[in-house]
Amino acid sequence: MTADLIVDPQIRFWVFLPIVVITFLVGILRHYISILLSSQKKVEIQQLADSQLILRARVLRENAKYIPKTSFLIRKHAFNREEEGYLMQKRPPVTQNMMTDPTMMTDMVKGNLTNVLPMIIIGGWINWMFSGFITTKVPFPLTLRFKSMLQRGIELSHLDASWVSSASWYFLNVFGLRSIYALVLGENNAADQSKQMQDQMSGAAMAMPNDPKVPFKAEWEALEIVDHQWVLTDIENTITQSDG
Amino acid sequence: MSSKSRNGNNRKVVAYSDLAIRNNLSVVEYCRTSMAALSGCTAGVLGLTGLYGAVFYIFAVTSLWFMILFKAGLSNWKNYFISRKALLTNGFFGQLFTYILCWTFIYGMVHVY
Repeated sequence: MTADLIVDPQIRFWVFLPIVVITFLVGILRHYISILLSSQKKVEIQQLADSQLILRARVLRENAKYIPKTSFLIRKHAFNREEEGYLMQKRPPVTQNMMTDPTMMTDMVKGNLTNVLPMIIIGGWINWMFSGFITTKVPFPLTLRFKSMLQRGIELSHLDASWVSSASWYFLNVFGLRSIYALVLGENNAADQSKQMQDQMSGAAMAMPNDPKVPFKAEWEALEIVDHQWVLTDIENTITQSDG
Repeated sequence: MSSKSRNGNNRKVVAYSDLAIRNNLSVVEYCRTSMAALSGCTAGVLGLTGLYGAVFYIFAVTSLWFMILFKAGLSNWKNYFISRKALLTNGFFGQLFTYILCWTFIYGMVHVY
């Protein structure tokens, strides 16, 4: 109504709304499919022990102020002793050959099946089916720089930058529905496409077998520099006063 | 906000239960997402444009902050949250995207065509 451009109302029901619904439902579907396909990850007992060890060291570091100094030093010594402290242990480097390990291969295939394939298919289908429509107008003025971002598929140099094309509306939905998924499906859901895209960018680093030496070293350093401040010095008086 | 953090015996030292604090924050995060979606829809229906929409978002964030503080108790909110300021500013820009999406969506549905 306030627009300087008259857009066919049919576009609203046959392009604008379907894109939102399709994006949302595909996200939900992906979540349930990845639950169906997910396999229980096998955890080495050594890895579990290491991670619990790091957790213990962190708890000690954060709550150091509630235990006396001697107790803190004893615990710190157990973790950080020169030769056989818990955090100074040597672990043999974990070498897992990805190609020979069949479970890893199937995991990768499943990951591709649930992430990459739907993205290509749905994205391509949306681009093909709903290409070239002006769908909506963002209710705030934008500069010309946003034209290439918001008007993918429409090359009109005189169009105002705040109009949005159908392909760009799809991408806006993909990225914008993230927190709605968190609300509907709970945290750590699998519907979040943009997070998985980031995972694939850093995929090479993620796939490396995790080496406990690095977090051990970090935790060792953090524990070394803790300045012990005993906060309960006046505790006897406080208790006797408040109870008395 | 069901779980209450435990108070230390000492008046000056308050020990927070890490788990309870994290639970509270995630509940607040859900509230914030709902608030962003609802206020975005409201802004779209009202047909706010430009700066009015931004002002409306700031108004919504602040009113949610007051509501949470009121729910937690204006005097003893410290039992549930560590910092009052972080409660206001956390996720301000993260939820802005949700707000803009809902705003654009409803504005497009109601006012563009």
